[in-house]
Amino acid sequence: MDRVKIFKLILWIVTGLGLSAAIARFAFGLGVTTNLSDTTPWGFWIGFDVVSGVALAAGGFVITATVYIMRKEEFHPIVKPAVLTAFLGYIAVIVGLLFDLGLPWNIWHPVVQWQHHSALFEVAWCVMLYTTVLALEFSPVPLEETSRYAKIRSFLMRYRLVFVILGIMLSTLHQSSLGSLFLIMPFKLHPLWYTPILPIMFFISAIALGLMMVTFESLFTSWLYRRKAETPLLAKLGKAAVWVIAIYALVRFIDLGARGALGYIFAGSFESIMFIVEASMVIIIPLILLSIPRTRHSLKGLWAASLLVVLGIVFNRINVAGLMMTSATGSHYVPSLSEILISASVVSAAVLAFLFAVEHFKVWERKPIDPEAKVEKLPEFDRASNTWLGRPEVAARIKYSLAFVLAVAVGLMFWPFDRLESRGIQDTPVVKARGGEKLIINGNRNFDLVLFKHKMHEDTLGGKESCVKCHHMNIPGDKESGCWQCHADMNKYTDAFRHDWHASPSGGNLGCVKCHEPDQPKMALTASECNECHKDLIPPGAAIKVEDYTAPGYVDAMHGSCVECHKEKAAALDKPKLPQCTTCHDQEVSDSINQAIAAKHEGRKSPWVTMPEIEEN
Amino acid sequence: MQPLMDFVAGPLFRLTFAIMLLGLLRIVVLTVWGVIQARRQTDDKVMPWKLITENTLGWLVPVLRLWKTRPIYSVVSFVFHIGLILVPIFLIGHIQLIRESIGIGWPVLSDNLADILTIVTMVTAVALFLGRLFSKEARFISRPQDYVWPVLLAIPFATGYVCNNMAIGAGVYQWTMLFHMLSAELIFVFIPFTKIAHCVLVPFSQMVSTLGWKFPPRSGEGVAETLGKKEMPV
Amino acid sequence: MKAILTDITKCIGCFKCVKACKETYDLPGDYPRRWTQNDGLSALNWTSIVIKPDDHFIRKQCRHCIEPACVSVCPVGALKKTKEGPVIYDNDKCMGCRYCMMACPYGIPRYDWDQRIPYIRKCIMCYDRIKNGQQPACTAACPEEATIFGERDELIAIARQRILDNPGKYYQDKIWGEHEVGGTCVLYLSDIDLSFLSYDRKLDNEPLPHTTEAAMKAVPPVFAGMGAAMIGLHWVIGRRMKREQENKPKGGSE
Repeated sequence: MDRVKIFKLILWIVTGLGLSAAIARFAFGLGVTTNLSDTTPWGFWIGFDVVSGVALAAGGFVITATVYIMRKEEFHPIVKPAVLTAFLGYIAVIVGLLFDLGLPWNIWHPVVQWQHHSALFEVAWCVMLYTTVLALEFSPVPLEETSRYAKIRSFLMRYRLVFVILGIMLSTLHQSSLGSLFLIMPFKLHPLWYTPILPIMFFISAIALGLMMVTFESLFTSWLYRRKAETPLLAKLGKAAVWVIAIYALVRFIDLGARGALGYIFAGSFESIMFIVEASMVIIIPLILLSIPRTRHSLKGLWAASLLVVLGIVFNRINVAGLMMTSATGSHYVPSLSEILISASVVSAAVLAFLFAVEHFKVWERKPIDPEAKVEKLPEFDRASNTWLGRPEVAARIKYSLAFVLAVAVGLMFWPFDRLESRGIQDTPVVKARGGEKLIINGNRNFDLVLFKHKMHEDTLGGKESCVKCHHMNIPGDKESGCWQCHADMNKYTDAFRHDWHASPSGGNLGCVKCHEPDQPKMALTASECNECHKDLIPPGAAIKVEDYTAPGYVDAMHGSCVECHKEKAAALDKPKLPQCTTCHDQEVSDSINQAIAAKHEGRKSPWVTMPEIEEN
Repeated sequence: MQPLMDFVAGPLFRLTFAIMLLGLLRIVVLTVWGVIQARRQTDDKVMPWKLITENTLGWLVPVLRLWKTRPIYSVVSFVFHIGLILVPIFLIGHIQLIRESIGIGWPVLSDNLADILTIVTMVTAVALFLGRLFSKEARFISRPQDYVWPVLLAIPFATGYVCNNMAIGAGVYQWTMLFHMLSAELIFVFIPFTKIAHCVLVPFSQMVSTLGWKFPPRSGEGVAETLGKKEMPV
Repeated sequence: MKAILTDITKCIGCFKCVKACKETYDLPGDYPRRWTQNDGLSALNWTSIVIKPDDHFIRKQCRHCIEPACVSVCPVGALKKTKEGPVIYDNDKCMGCRYCMMACPYGIPRYDWDQRIPYIRKCIMCYDRIKNGQQPACTAACPEEATIFGERDELIAIARQRILDNPGKYYQDKIWGEHEVGGTCVLYLSDIDLSFLSYDRKLDNEPLPHTTEAAMKAVPPVFAGMGAAMIGLHWVIGRRMKREQENKPKGGSE
């Protein structure tokens, strides 16, 4: 197969997998499908899709400025692809943002609700306007295809300079304003990155990135379509990039020096290593590679330099947008699979759109030879299904759509929907309370335990007769089943009824008709009640009335039964301290028990205990 | 056993159901796309929408069209479709599962009616199979899949009926249920890629055949080529 | 401007404020989830008590800054600083960008992460109650008057008096929230260091919105300047090229 075909097939599959992740994201919400959290409200989607995405699309304004303002006509062949990349890049940014926003249908709110003091407001407006401008800049290319729109086209061409200048003005604003977004976080962002001139830094690096992104895109598409690379032209871009990167480096280090932050570079911390990696990717290696004329004019040198700068500045954006805040916020954020997949699929879709445009419109001087539209238009025969797929164009359509559909389905198959359904509540299996007359209740093993005087409760409540008060439901054949047997998770509900056990030969070995009517559909609705067979399941006189067989979480169950009873007793016996937390959660008892085994866990508190009311003294 | 059941009822169901839904969507898009491209090459661009609608609706009740030529076949195949469509969508057990998983439901068939429809569907499926087997003309134009389909479609109905109505042991029940789900999932996977896709393609197939009449006499090859059906029996 | 003064030395850790808050806003119980922090605040807990060694109970809630970072960054005006003091939130305006969560130096705004339609959640100082002349539910519920409600100036005066009356009792004789980030409407008196309440231990007294103000003020001049510069450059280069064209009459195209 041709490499274009393989590449497209991969892109379709990635887009499909991303769509399945997108379905999960909208069906279950941000919390369970991403690794975003209260400490990391902005993650990979903002760092990569939005902040880096806008920067990656900077080629549009840089190249239009070169050609139409500086009047360097020699760069004309790369204007159209650069504008197209920028346009698709901005569309990708907006689409990517739709996944990140909690309420994406409100994305238009900045249009009507003006907040001129917010940097994000300004970015939103600029991105909107600039996307429109880019659409106007690029639309003459597809309009060329049909003569019907000649009038619109000539109109757009006449005002091209206006659009170009407007585009540069808007780009200047929001490329820098993306830096301004982080000006308000001096308390979070590491001093190696935080600077009051962050906007200027972002603007200069965006120009460097724009130049190198255009280079990279040109090199990549030449490789993909087996065209001759525009090396002399790209070498000139590289030469310009040397100047921009040099200015960037100068500003960066002077700023660090002026703020006295240079010392952090050699602090040996995580941040300092990241800074050195970033600086060598963006500044040091590309400067060396691009300033030597021989490497600058070689394909390999251009490849290496452009890739390094592109990745390095994306890395810089991700650093500023969150990675370098982690030591202040203490978060351990790693993007989840769904975040990465959705980002990848947005990029893939944009690349597919790019490939579609270059194959169908005159983005380049010469359209690439469309691998789908072979000269001899013979229909394609598929041996696997023994059918004619049609013309190569139609056959490609059939194949790509099939790959896409299968990718979505396979993606949906692998999403852990049961886990997502739990809405992020972690599994905490309960361990059995240990002891005899005194029970150590330590369900989640966090050593924040309760010493339950079982014998004492039994005695004060009235001997053996009183078991039923607390043991409100028992496993058949048992008189005092442990709490943990039904309330099996600290926080989650557990189904006390075990269908598999009832049906299995090693368990109840009961036929369906034991509970289900033979001529009825077999489901919980039509099954007979448990206590029709298990007469002693719910003992008479139980303090807790069983309504259904879903057992609440252990914590809720314990607090529900103990605290309620303690409240009643407190009123009856005039012992106001009885329902207080410390009556059961006695730190001293807890500590003394834990002393030997839990020295390292000392002082650890569970913040999830809802404290009961204290009686007024 | 239970993990296998969970897998078949969970991930495998999602996979196959998604393949069915998206696959049907895909085939509709591809067909409409093909029709639009073909229409560009015709001389007469007028589409007789009224005729297409009439034909589509008319063939929805084949009894009206085939009563004179093939009365038994038309009635049997029509009756076969009633249960085939209604029972899976409106069975109380299925609705309950949907309600438990995504929280929405819709009115259900009464249990007795569902049972009757199930039996009718199974009987008509066998009748269709036998009819194809013993009719010379039908055998002549049949492909292997044409024989397999009535049988395959009857399997989930038979197993579902057994599970719903018969007093069987728990072990047998589980195996039957597994068989029920697996056969249904097999059907899901095949629907968009075989003739069963006519469940969504009915209106569009009328569009395709109507469009065929619009071409000048010598352009037949072009249409077949555009629709990707060159050198195939029409 | 209304304010809340919390005296850590008086708090007995009874959690009545937490309970009152949960009851007032009908907030269900919370579970340990991946996205929650161990300070106890979440979309379902708008105030919490952080327990520090030696029976120190620090009530955490929104600080209601006088010049709030969250309000200044919100691109849609969903967050608003009211003249009464509370910083309040409007569900209908929000688009869920979570910039407020990024910008808050105290990490207060929390998100409904588990919801399909999530909103920002935080303490709103019982704005409706304040408007009706009542005090917030939490201060009303406090049995020890450890957390009290009143005019900000009066509360600062009370706090000063307490510091004067008890020399050496309070940490650095400092009213937490009097000056940081331009002052907050939730003030603390404490006998221990409370700097753990913010991300950066040394918060500046400069209000955070001022950090972006310079950049935002530069927007219109940069916009106009860039436009003028581009037009000028275009014209200058065009003229120079024209002259070059005239100077070498024929042949020298490149």
